[in-house]
This record gives sequence, structure tokens and C-alpha cells, in this order.
Amino acid sequence: MTRTGQQVFIIDDDEAVRDSMSMLLETVNLPHQCFSSALEFLDSYDGTQQGCLVLDIRMPGMSGLELQDRLQESEALLPIIFITGHGDVPMAVEAMRKGALDFMRKPIREQDLLDRIHEALDLEAGIRNIMVDREQMMKKLATLTTREREVFERVADGHANKVIGLDLGISERTVEVHRSQAMKKLEVRSLAQLVKIKIDLEKPSNELF
Amino acid sequence: MLQVNNQVPFIALTSSDALPHRLYILLSIIAWVSVYMIVFIAGSLFPVAADSFFSTIFIMLQFLLGPIMAMLVYLLLVERYRVRQLHFNADRLETLLKNLPGMAYRCFNRKYWPMEFVSEGCYALCGYDRRDLEEQRVLWGKFITHPDEIEFVERSILDAVGKDEPFEVEYRIITREGEEKWVWERGRAVGVLDGETILEGLITDITDRKLTEQALMRAEAYAKAVVDTAVEAVITIDEMGCIETVNRAAQTMFAYTPEAIKGENIRRLIAGDYLEEYNQYIMHYQEDRSSRVASAGCEVMGRRQDDSTFPIHLVINEVLNQPERKYVGLIRDLTLQREAEKEVREQREQLAHVDRLNTLGEMATVIAHEINQPLTAISMYAQSGLRFLDRGNPKPERLRDALEKLYVQAHRAGSVIERVQQLSRQHESHSEEVDCNALIRDVHKLAEVEAHIRDIVITLKLPRLLPMVVCDPVQIQQVVLNLLRNGMESMKKAGYNHGNRIVLHTSGTGAGVRISIIDSGSGISDETAEQLYRPFSTTKDTGMGMGLSISRSIVRAHGGQLEFTNNANAGVTFYFTLPYARSKKI
Repeated sequence: MTRTGQQVFIIDDDEAVRDSMSMLLETVNLPHQCFSSALEFLDSYDGTQQGCLVLDIRMPGMSGLELQDRLQESEALLPIIFITGHGDVPMAVEAMRKGALDFMRKPIREQDLLDRIHEALDLEAGIRNIMVDREQMMKKLATLTTREREVFERVADGHANKVIGLDLGISERTVEVHRSQAMKKLEVRSLAQLVKIKIDLEKPSNELF
Repeated sequence: MLQVNNQVPFIALTSSDALPHRLYILLSIIAWVSVYMIVFIAGSLFPVAADSFFSTIFIMLQFLLGPIMAMLVYLLLVERYRVRQLHFNADRLETLLKNLPGMAYRCFNRKYWPMEFVSEGCYALCGYDRRDLEEQRVLWGKFITHPDEIEFVERSILDAVGKDEPFEVEYRIITREGEEKWVWERGRAVGVLDGETILEGLITDITDRKLTEQALMRAEAYAKAVVDTAVEAVITIDEMGCIETVNRAAQTMFAYTPEAIKGENIRRLIAGDYLEEYNQYIMHYQEDRSSRVASAGCEVMGRRQDDSTFPIHLVINEVLNQPERKYVGLIRDLTLQREAEKEVREQREQLAHVDRLNTLGEMATVIAHEINQPLTAISMYAQSGLRFLDRGNPKPERLRDALEKLYVQAHRAGSVIERVQQLSRQHESHSEEVDCNALIRDVHKLAEVEAHIRDIVITLKLPRLLPMVVCDPVQIQQVVLNLLRNGMESMKKAGYNHGNRIVLHTSGTGAGVRISIIDSGSGISDETAEQLYRPFSTTKDTGMGMGLSISRSIVRAHGGQLEFTNNANAGVTFYFTLPYARSKKI
């Protein structure tokens, strides 16, 4: 499977580990970049590159956990696979709590690592798709009139047309017109699809994983 | 010196100048001429007929009276001279006797030796007036000679007189004041008077000499007792090293009988392998006996009569005021001391080993990490290699690359383990020539990862050229590692407020190579300084508190001193000096 636009960012202060991991990724033709420190990565990352991070948790300067924090602050969506030379349980717990994809101990089973990387990339790709869908949906939503939007929200919440009409002080008929307008604009045919759009929109972006 | 024998009288009476005959003859002639002139003038005043009887008498007077007068004058002058000479000689004798150191005497060889004559020295010698003795109110043998000595003196004198030889005795007297004195008497029989032998002689006070002699004997006895009871062997040798005297300790120490050891050369007491060192020492001693080497003595192996050996300390010193050159050698048996030293060393080694294991224990996580890194890389290179092979189109050049890198990493892991093993091994301490900079670099490698994790920068300040030192590399590494880790811990405690740099610095000094560990931690307060080296005292959260105490004892065993000073800006510098290789200790 080729990953278009996605790459693996390897961040480890140990040159041999970086280099060997780079070679391993080369064998599976995964595009990747190596960085010797968190800061070096931050310097080169502009927020648009796609892929995932393989991150050493303990590094001089900025640690892996700190980098994770920084990325979350800037709402970067790169999934993180932490690796560590220490069996540092509290760190692992914290990393996982903050949404790390996995926490692996050195020496790592290569196949596991590759599996996790693929997983991470799939995930990232998925999220990105969702993000794109959501963006498109947001654009469509923006075309709704205020009344259409009100009707859409209520329909998706499962209210009957009659109730909506009473709520908004309009006739049932008018509700139906707005509803079909909204469905047309949002390019959905069934009520179920309408409900899904509503649920997706309400999900905060960091819970996408 | 007074001579007493038959040929020369007791005191020779000799005049100093000859009789002035010429002067006396001249005076006599003048008298003669004067008489002749007087008679002639009288004759001319009272003229007498030339052919008268008076005239004849007058002429006879004129010729006779002159010679008679001259003779008379001459005899008178000579007599006068004799009297004067006699007086003079008596005076001289008196002066001589007075100046004698002691008392000259002439006595009868009878019980108590009644004196016939004693010189003026009598009073100074025994406190009695000479007349008391000469008039025999005081008898020498009865009142003055010490009662315990009379028999001895009597026998000595009788023996000598019987053989017609001079006698010489030393005995005690009691003075008039009751004081006891030692006297020396020498005399001999000079003749017989009324059937009794007469003795003449001289008695002198030798109390001072006798007391000095006795003091000397006491001092000698004391010195002998000291030498004999000394634990150290005391040996006197001549210039060639031949043993002259030995004390008891020397006999016991070297298992010799006194007869067997005397006359042996001192070299026989030194094990063959150590003769060179002994010679060196003697050479140093001869060059400059006040030098440090000469006064420090030498430590060699001693050799007993049965050729068994044992460690000794030997120091040689010249005995002064001797007619020939003599030396005294002081030898200490170091067997017990060496055993004690060995025990201390072994204990120190064990403690040091425990401390090293403890340190390694503390560093275990870090070390595991350090080994994990190359292992991770190795594993991934190996996997990559396999994948290069598995693929339908193998990439031999990539495979080669992978294997080469794998090889490097395997060695990297191996060297970590080797360093750890070196520290963890229990070893008997030994000294070797070591390059301090290489040693410091090794320690740096050991501590690098820990520093890395703590975000501390270890800076090496090593001069390019540094002479070799003599030390036990493992123990010194341990000391440096201890100090380095302490420094890092202190910096952590200080919250890295004074920076994150710790410096390992070597420099050549007059005494050797100084190794300094300069941290930028919180420094050492006076209270901490007090119990800094106390075992089991620690300011760290982990650790036994043995590190500094062991480090100090290791440095001491290397002849140095572990010291510290608070830095001007922040942190503390620990430093110690290792001796250069050339001043290798015996």
C-alpha cells in the first residue's frame, strides 16, 4: 500500500536507533524523516505535513511528552507512537492518557512497530478524511438559512414535524419545506444520514482517534 | 712529671747559675791592692827608718796583709753565695711542692704510715694541716684512709716494697670534714732509717675523674639496657659493613646466635633481590646523609640465618667520636605492619567493591538504557537485512550497509558491558602506569547517558600532553565516577539554577596530575562539610553514603588527599593529585 502524502517522523536522540529505524522503513518503502530532537522537528513542521510520529519519550532538551503537549496545543493531528528505553510506567500512563497511539519498549519487535505505524497512518488518513468530509459538510451547512438550520437541528434530534412547527411557531407544512430544502443542500436522502451529520459535527476534533 | 727512683733524688737540687769566680777574684785583688795602698800611705805618714825593726815588720805587713785580706774577701763572698743559693733552692722546692696536684710525702712504712714530711698540698687534699701529720698527731692510715680500703692499700704497698717496685693505688679517703674522696697514690721505698723502710710518694685527688668514670659506666649500662630491651634490632657495623655488635632483638629477629652473627657482613641480613635497593640507599646516605631519602631509611626484605625472608625497615646512622668509622643500623620488623596494611587494603578493596556495585545498582536503569539503544538498533538492522533478502529484488549493497552498522552497534553494546564489568569485578588493587586523560574519558562514557538524561553537559578539559601517573585505574575511575555523580545530583538538587555544566579537568602539577571535578550545583555548606566524609551520611535520596568516604580512602591509598573548595560563582570543586610514574614508590 502506498501512502500518498504521508510520512513517518522519527524523533530519537540516538543516532543508531534513528538510522536503523530509517533503514527498516526503507525496506517497506515508507517515506520518513529523522530528527535528533523535538525542537528540530518543531522547527521543520509547518502543521500541514501528514503522517505519524515515532517519538522517543526521554530526550534531552524537550522530552517526548512535552512535544506531545505542544502538538496538541497546535491541534496537529499526527498520531504518536512512543518508544522508550525505560520501562517507565507513569510516563507511559500519561502518554496514553493524552492520546498516544501506543507505547513501545526498546528493543522493539520490528513487525509490531511496522504494524503500529501502518495503523497510525491509516488512522491519520481516516481522520484526515473525516476532517475533509466535515469541512465539506460545514461548507454545506453554511449555505442553510437560519430557519433551515433550526429545522435541521430539530429533525436530527428526532423531533416530529408537528412538534417542530409548534416550537418554531410555524406550520407543519412550512417545516416540511425547510426540511426538504436542507436535505437538498446537505445532499442527503434519508433521515439517518441527517442524524449522522449532526453526531459527527458534535464530536470534538481531538476525540477522532 | 715527678720521677721517683734510686738514681735521681726525690727532688733534684740544682742551682741555676754558676759561681761568679771572676768577679770574686777581681774583688779580692781590689781588696789586696787597697790593703797595700793603706799600708803604703800609713808608711809615708809615719816615716820609719828603713833599716829599723819596724821597717822590716812594715814591709812584711805590706806583703802579707794584702793576700790574707784578698783570701778573706773571696771566702766571705763564696760563703755568702752558698747561703743565698741554699735559700733559693729551698724556696723553689717549696713552690714546686705547693704547686703539685696533691700531696708529696715521706713516711715510715709502719702501721698507719706516720709521716715524716708532707707537702703543702696536704690541707687541700684532706683538710689537715701538714704539721698535724708531720708531728704525727694525725696518722694517714688511721684517720684519713677509708677504713674499708686500709687492707687493700697495705697489701698493695707491701707487695711493691717486697719486690722493690713502685706502687700505685687508687682508694678512698675521708677528709677532716668527713667528705669522701677518691685518691691516686704512687710511691716507692727510698731507703732505710734506723731499720725502718722509708716511703716517698705523691697522693692526688681523682674524685672528679672517678665520678665521671662512674657516671659514664652508668650511662653505658643504661644505654646497653635500652639497646638490649629495644624491639628494634640494633647493629653496629664498621666501614666495610662487618657486624661488630648486635642486641638481643637483632639475634631474635634474624635467628642468629651472637657468635654467628658477629663478623658477618650486614648484606647477609638482606634478601638477595633487595641488595640493589640497599646499595641505592647507602649511596644516598653517603651522598647526603641529611637528605630525605637518607633519613627515611629503606624498606627491603630481611634474610634470616635459615634464608627465610621477612619485610624490614632499615636506617643507618654514623656513630660519631669514634677512632674509626662506625655505623649503627636500626632495623624494624615490618611483618605485622605489613599484615595489618594488607588487611586494611583488603577491607578497603571490599568496601570499594561494594560501593562500585552500589553505584552500578543506582545506575542500572541508565546502563540498561545504554545497552538497549544499540540492541534496538541491532535488532532493526537485522530485520532490515532480512527484509532486503526476502524481497523479490535483493539489495546486496543495502544488506552490506545494514550488517556493517549492526557490527558497530554490537561493539557499542559490548563496550558498555565491558565498562560495567570492569567496575563490578572484585579485583586485588594493583598500580599501573595510566594515562589520566584516557581514564577520564572512560568515566565520561560511563556517566554520559545519565548526564544526557538529566540534561547535564559533561565538559572535558584535558591538556593534550599529560605525563603518565601510577594508580589503580578501576579505583580511580570509581572515585571520579562517584564525584561526578555527586556533582550531577547536587546540580539536580539546585534545580540547575547555576547551569547544567560539570567539568572534568586534568592538569599537571609539581607533585603529579591533578584531577578536578567542577560542578555547578548548590555547593557544600559548613555543616555538610563537617560530616562530608563520614560513612553512611548522605544528602542524597538514594545511596549508602559510602561514596565519599571510600573515595577518600582510595585517594589516600594513592598517597593523595581528596579535597574540595566551593567555587566563586556556584558549585563545588573536588580535586586530588596522583603521583607521576617516574616517582614510583618502593
